[in-house]
Formats: sequence, structure tokens, C-alpha cells
Amino acid sequence: MQTIKLAFRNLFRNTRRTVLTVMLIAFSLTALILVDGAMRGMLTLMVENVTGTITGEAQIHLVGYRENLDVDLYMDDSDEIEQILRQDSSLQSYSPRVISGGMISSSYNVSAGLLYGIDAELERGTSKVSDAVVRGEYLSGLDSELLIGRSMADLLEVDLGDRIVITLSEAGSGDLAQALFRITGVLNFGMRELDDNFVFVNIDAARAVLGMSEQQTHEFAIKFNNPLDAENPDTAIFQQFNKEEIEAMGWLDLNKEISLVIELMAYSSLIVGSILFLLASLGVINSMFMSIYERIYEFGVIKAIGTRPAAISRLILCEALLLAIISCLLGSLLGFALGSWTSTHGIAIGEIEFSGIAFNNNILTEFHVAQFTQFPFYVVLLTIVAAIYPARFAAKIVPSEALQRSL
Amino acid sequence: MTAVIATKEVCRYFGDDEETMVKAVDKVSIEIERGEFTAIVGPSGSGKTTLLHLLGGLDNPTSGSVELSGTNIAEMSGAVLSDFRRDHIGYIFQSYNLIPVFSAEENIEYIMLLQGVEAAERKRRVADMLQQVGLEGLGNRRPNKLSGGQQQRVAIARAMVSHPEIILADEPTANLDSKTGIALLDLMKELNEKHNMTFVFSTHDEKIMNRASRLIHIHDGEIELDERK
Repeated sequence: MQTIKLAFRNLFRNTRRTVLTVMLIAFSLTALILVDGAMRGMLTLMVENVTGTITGEAQIHLVGYRENLDVDLYMDDSDEIEQILRQDSSLQSYSPRVISGGMISSSYNVSAGLLYGIDAELERGTSKVSDAVVRGEYLSGLDSELLIGRSMADLLEVDLGDRIVITLSEAGSGDLAQALFRITGVLNFGMRELDDNFVFVNIDAARAVLGMSEQQTHEFAIKFNNPLDAENPDTAIFQQFNKEEIEAMGWLDLNKEISLVIELMAYSSLIVGSILFLLASLGVINSMFMSIYERIYEFGVIKAIGTRPAAISRLILCEALLLAIISCLLGSLLGFALGSWTSTHGIAIGEIEFSGIAFNNNILTEFHVAQFTQFPFYVVLLTIVAAIYPARFAAKIVPSEALQRSL
Repeated sequence: MTAVIATKEVCRYFGDDEETMVKAVDKVSIEIERGEFTAIVGPSGSGKTTLLHLLGGLDNPTSGSVELSGTNIAEMSGAVLSDFRRDHIGYIFQSYNLIPVFSAEENIEYIMLLQGVEAAERKRRVADMLQQVGLEGLGNRRPNKLSGGQQQRVAIARAMVSHPEIILADEPTANLDSKTGIALLDLMKELNEKHNMTFVFSTHDEKIMNRASRLIHIHDGEIELDERK
């Protein structure tokens, strides 16, 4: 108790130095909380963009379909699959699709692109196609309707109501087929890949052009009630559909590069945290040594009157512990206050595309319990570790030398 | 009479090189008996403070032995030496050297905390010491709120409260005015006579020399003259 009392009073002998050291440690913790919050926010935004835009949280296809989107690799039993999906209470929505590469032509230009045949109503709950309509109307179910990306529309020099001809190979026969559509809506996903290459039509019209029956589907996109189900290989859908011919994959498996980005972000947090903690540790060591050198005569005196070396070490470590606790309280409060603001107002990042994913919203930082438990714990631990060297130094002070030095 | 302190051929040399080596204390053999009021006297740099540090276990001799109550402290180190100093020796320093963040009471109490003395006993002994050194009512003051003389009184109380066998005082009156110095010396002499406590001073202060029962003159690390009054 006496050690704590002495340590506490010692801390405030040089208030300015203590305040500066507390600020250094506290601001490092605050920065770490914010960086981690921003990383978590960015990750959420990234996952939302990846899963919410078009991919869905999981997909079902024939094995091998995703390798080159071969139109011949379609599932024949759509009704049966849909029935299973409808009955699965863990799913929020699903959407069947037929997909084919083709030539997309206007009166003025031509471009290669990807035709998506979608069920207008089911797709509305699964992806952001309906939300991406910036001009015109979303699909209503008519065979001639077509939605086109804004940049592709610019390339083809077309606008609402203009005609588009799509030329593609029929599934099965491989014969060339053509169909005429009229643009009913222009899309802007904010993702170059989609806006440059994708056109959407009603699924029945797409099946007709491709020569596919109503039972034939290339892909089912799925959205879960709990997004975490998509990351769990034990989820019923994955267990049920991963048979010999059909595969069901979560978004992490569908987007391997995103998995790597997520891993990279975790490392980024670790690196930023390490740098911040290293700087704070150096600050603690510096502050502790300044404090010891200032009191070296005093250490000589208390050692002379019988204080054991271990007790002097304990005193220095206790000072470091108190310093860390005060810093953590301040850092956590600041982190919470700033984090609360940035979690509602966001951090403006402008429009950037990262790993093919567009970020055009403010990043809303996210709180996590680890930011206020693990991080402060690490700060306390590191501060104490940083104080071990000064503490050992103080314990080894020879009283006669210390008493001579400052006389 | 029993010797509380006995040194045999004790040496303290600084530096390894033969040419630059400083012989601060050279082959000093002395015996100080219980209750003596001894002053080690000599000019600056004569080695009196070094000898006092050796007697108090604050420094290790290059050779020779230092026995306190029959225990050779030259062979002790670390926690064992700390405990020995705590239980057997009291120190009074030239510049008082109280713990600045502690009050006068807490400074006096500190050594008893190290000894594990119970709270009630600590409180009683602190009050008693404050009364003996004439600081009743000033126990709550921190050192910066006390005069030099008052701080040295607290230092004396701190040195005596643990009931040590000897008290070592390094130039205790050097920073005090003449009147305060005399008052403190009279206090120490009174405590010496009352408790039969052994005092060893390092000093070149005439006032201490006049009151000392024994004067050990040291010059260039060697004893020049050892006289009892």
C-alpha cells in the first residue's frame, strides 16, 4: 500500500513530464482504437460491397462453372433447388440467374459484355441491381427490357429507350443467336467491372435467347439472415449442396483475393499497433529514466536506510502501472468519444477503388469489445515491460555512488 | 566495553591503474565501542566520508573487513545487506534527504514499514520521536514546508526510530546555521547519553569536535591520530 502511495505521489512530482507521457501513451491507444475501428468499418463496407452488389453471400452452381462461365454448365433442376432454398429458414433471399458472355451492340458501337438474366423480384432482395438504377426503371418482367451500366451506355452512345442487340452462343448447340432489347434503365454500381461490362435482362428472355428451358439455371445467389453463416462451412446449405455435380460456396471462397485483402488488413492493424506501441514504449523508458536520474540521490538514501533492491524495482514498476492505468483510462475515453463521432459521421475517403471494390461512402468506424479490453491490457503490459529495464537500473544503484553523484 | 564497530586493515581504492589509483581509505583498523560519540575528522578529500560509507555498508571495501556487532558486512550484498542496514544502522545525511512526497511523519514511519512494525506501534513511535526532536504539531508537513533545521530533526528522528545500534552522520550540520547546528548537536548528545546510542560523525565542524568523546583524525585515507577525551 505504501509503495502505491509513494508511486502515485512520485508520478505527480513532475506533473508536466507525467502529463506528456500519459498523453503519449493515451494518444497511441486512441489512435489504435480508431485505426482498428476504421479497419473494421472498411472491412464491413468491403464485405457489404462484395456480397451486396451482385455476388451475394453464397452461390450455387455446377462444379467447374465458375472457372470460365461456360454456358453449357447449367443446373437442370431449378424447381427442386428453389424448393429447398425456399424452405431454408436461415436464408433471407435467393435469386436464380442465367449468365452468358456476348456481343452487345448499338447503332453506333459494339462491346463485349456479360448478360445476366435475372428474376426481377427475387433479385431485388438479393443484390443491389434495383438500387443501382440511376435513370429509367428497374425490370418489370417484360421480355424486351434491358438494364445497362452507365459507362457501357456511354461507350455504345445509347440512352433510355434505345435499342441494343445482343449476340451470343446458345447453350448446348453453340449456335449463334441474337435478340433485340430496349434500354429501360441505366445503372451505376460504382464498380468499374460492373458498369463497364454488365447488362441485365429478365431471366425468361435470357433463357429464350440461350435456348435454355425454365428448369435450367447457371447460378443461384443467396443471402443469409445471419451473414456469418456464409463464412461457416457447417451451414446447412453448404452441407446440402456440395455434392458431386453441384457446389455451394460462401463469398470468402468466391472471392479469394478479398480473403487475402482481409488477412492483409489484419496485418496492417498489427503493424500500426506495433509501431504505436513501440513509440509509446520508448516514451515510457525515456520518462522513467529521466525520473530515476532526477531522484538518484533519493534512491541512494532509501537504499541506505534499508530498502531492498526488489522493493525499489517494485516502486518503479508500480509507477509504470499507475501511469499505464491513467493513460488507458484517458486513451479509452478519447477513443470512445472520437470513435462515437466517426461511427456516425464516418471518415471521408472520397471515391476510391480498392482491389476492384469501390468505396464511395464515408468509412464508419466500428467499436469492438477488444478495443477497450485487449488493447488497454496490451498497453499496460507493454508499459510494465518497458519499465523493467529502468526498474532494474534503479534497483542496482549503489548507495555510496548515488549519494556522491548529486552532492 | 564491547566494540560495536571493528575494522581490520580496511582499504577502499578507486581505479585499477597503479599510477592513477586513488587510495581513499588505506589499511584503517579501528574499534568503536557502544555509546561512543565519535567524530571522524579531516580536511576535504581525506577519506572520512568513504570510511563512513564503509562502516555503514554503503560501499564495499577493496580489502579488509568491517564488522558491526560481530558480523562482517563486507561479505554481505543485496537484500541481506539492505536488511542489516535497516535493522542495525541509522543514517543522517548532510542535506537531510527526506522523501519529498512524504510528510515528516511518513518519512519517520517509512523505515518501520520496511521492518514490518505494526501500525499502532508505528504511530506511537512516530509521535514519541516527533516529541523528542521537538517537532510536535509539524508531523503533517512535507519537507518543503519545513526549515533546514526542522528537516534535519526529522532526519534524526528517522535515523533513531528503528532503534539502531549505531547512527552514522555525514556532515550533519554542514547546511545549518550555527545556532541550529548547536541545538541539533545538543539533541544528538542528549539522545546518545539517554539511550547509550553509538554515534559516528564525519565532519570538520568544530562544534561537533568539541562535543565528541573521541576524535579520529584521518588524512589521505590513513588514520593520523585517534584520541579519546
